[in-house]
Amino acid sequence: MTTYATTPPPPVPEDVSGLGHNRGTDFSGEAGQIDADGVHAWFSGRLVLAGVTLTMEKSKVTALIGPSGCGKSTFLRILNRMHEVVPGAQLAGSVRLDGLDIYGPGQRAMETRRHIGMVFQKPNPFPAMTIAENVLAGLRFSRVSAGDKGDLVEASLTKAGLWKEVKDRLGELGGALSGGQQQRLCIARALAVKPRVLLMDEPCSALDPTSTLRIEETIKDIADEVTVVIVTHNMQQAQRVSDYCAFFLAEENLPGRVIEAGRTETIFGNPTDQRTFDYVNGQFG
Amino acid sequence: MQAAPPGVLIANSSVSTGSLPTRQPSRPVPPTRGPGDPSGGTPDPPAPRRLPTPIRPGAVGPQDVALIVVSALSSFCLVWVVFYQLTSLTGGLGFLVCWYAGFLALTWFGTSQVIERQVATDRVAGILVWTAGLLIIGIVIFIVAWVTYKAVPSIHWSALFTKDQRTLAASDPNLLNHVGVLQAIVGTLEQVLMATLMGVPFAIATAVYLNEVGTGRTARLVRTVVTAMSGTPSIVAGVFIYSIFIFTGVLHYSGFAASLALVVILLPSVTRVVEEVLRVVPSGLREASLSLGAPEWRTVWSVVIPTARSGVVTAVLLGVARIVGETAPLIFTAFGSQVLNANPLVHDQGALPLVILSNTHAAQQVLIDIAFQAAFVLMSIVLILFVLARYFSRTKSKKSGRAQPTEDDMMARYFLPIPIERSPE
Repeated sequence: MTTYATTPPPPVPEDVSGLGHNRGTDFSGEAGQIDADGVHAWFSGRLVLAGVTLTMEKSKVTALIGPSGCGKSTFLRILNRMHEVVPGAQLAGSVRLDGLDIYGPGQRAMETRRHIGMVFQKPNPFPAMTIAENVLAGLRFSRVSAGDKGDLVEASLTKAGLWKEVKDRLGELGGALSGGQQQRLCIARALAVKPRVLLMDEPCSALDPTSTLRIEETIKDIADEVTVVIVTHNMQQAQRVSDYCAFFLAEENLPGRVIEAGRTETIFGNPTDQRTFDYVNGQFG
Repeated sequence: MQAAPPGVLIANSSVSTGSLPTRQPSRPVPPTRGPGDPSGGTPDPPAPRRLPTPIRPGAVGPQDVALIVVSALSSFCLVWVVFYQLTSLTGGLGFLVCWYAGFLALTWFGTSQVIERQVATDRVAGILVWTAGLLIIGIVIFIVAWVTYKAVPSIHWSALFTKDQRTLAASDPNLLNHVGVLQAIVGTLEQVLMATLMGVPFAIATAVYLNEVGTGRTARLVRTVVTAMSGTPSIVAGVFIYSIFIFTGVLHYSGFAASLALVVILLPSVTRVVEEVLRVVPSGLREASLSLGAPEWRTVWSVVIPTARSGVVTAVLLGVARIVGETAPLIFTAFGSQVLNANPLVHDQGALPLVILSNTHAAQQVLIDIAFQAAFVLMSIVLILFVLARYFSRTKSKKSGRAQPTEDDMMARYFLPIPIERSPE
């Protein structure tokens, strides 16, 4: 079903796999660091992302900014192997989680996704499950025993800033919550499997300002335990929540790439590239 | 405005002319004590606030009713004159159709004259749709009422469900005291149950393949085959099973052979409906599940199918409804029997449709009565199955209203005050 090949057309990267020093499938530790090296992406043979090399520091929040269609979301999905779910999607390059190549031989996508969770643009709690079942879904799916499930539900929902609002209605269906609450439920669900990295694909773009602020607080709260990579179109949000920033841009008829990356203060205050300056100051895009 | 006591709002128009500043510093006091109140000075009790009369824009008014009634009446007269007097046509049905057509035409004409052309077109379209809906209800009620009317007076309830037809002799005046359709009820239930048990998992698996797993050419081929299969005439399904299994001696005439033929009919219809239902499940849910580290089969089993649950139940119901009354495939497979045979694996087995088939054309009134009784029982079975399936498919979604303890013991924890050791902050 998934058509994923490590060796697609032109820029064949030098190291697709085998870079990870420890080949075991055992990820360990708390928050993780992701190193993306020479990442390219294709959709049905069309190159959309070229040569992205980026490090997402452990326990920090990295924001990916840039205009629409510049490959931010594609890059994000490559980081936890969701890219290959799209029919016709291909990629090249290596992505390492704490040194272990997630595209290396013997690495399974399921295992990777358990360590690198994801929150999507549109809140998507499982409608047929209750709030508590939603939180525990990841564990149930991967058959991991959780110790005390009740504690885990409370801890996850508390981390996502939702516990106080839903503690008396855990048996209700997830769809009964408001949009902002649903998104925080999705965050709790992603956190319940104790990922080391959490990817967020424009998590607030469907939400009102109050819910957005709640989620930003949540991001700051969880950053100690989990590395966060967030795609956002909102410059203020990127400034508020992130420690590091990467500016993606796809110039005319060219695939998307990283123009500039660095500390958020630098990117917003004193960028070296003129295009970055123009973008963060709202002069194009 | 200050927070005024309720009665003051009424006097708003008189208060607002210049007297407002004097009220500004005063506390909201009960309306009985209004010393500086300029609105008349009398401490009148709060008058009930007058609400405006609610209206419904677009509601059906007397003019609309008049238009429709006048159209119906004048169409009746016009068509009566033309149909029976001028052209000397006969027949009630033709008259009704012409009356309806004339009614539509006159409604359109009248409305377009009195109101507007667009409104007229809209109204005629509305009438057509309403007619379709009412016609369906009418047809169903008519069928049910007719069968009930023909069946129930002759039913001996004590025999119907407890006796088979082994003592059937049309000349016996007290026949219905000791003849029922038990053998056919048992046969139909067993055949349909087996066909459902075999066909539904197969159909759901095929639908999952078509919608979740298969891509490109293979899936298209399967879809085409399934579509073609749903066009198989049911008698062909019967002949197929007969020639493959019974003629060759692999199986006897039996309920099991009948259920195999029914599977052939059930499979494509359930597959197509389930596929449509699965397609509606948002792809975001699949991605969410995969991103939690779930394998693909888990995603389908725990997320996609539960989300589409009510639709899947509907698909199964449609399939069961489709096969429960099938007659043609049973002729060559179950063969029919007047004697109770509860074992579906060997020997001829009765079925309600076969009872209807073999008795409806009989010369004796008592046999025709038996046919109607069988039809009545068949309808009742379908009705009961539908109600049961609907009930069980809806119990889960009712939870959304209020928090309720679930059967899951994990949930039960939340009704006990258990301290949480680990503080996440």
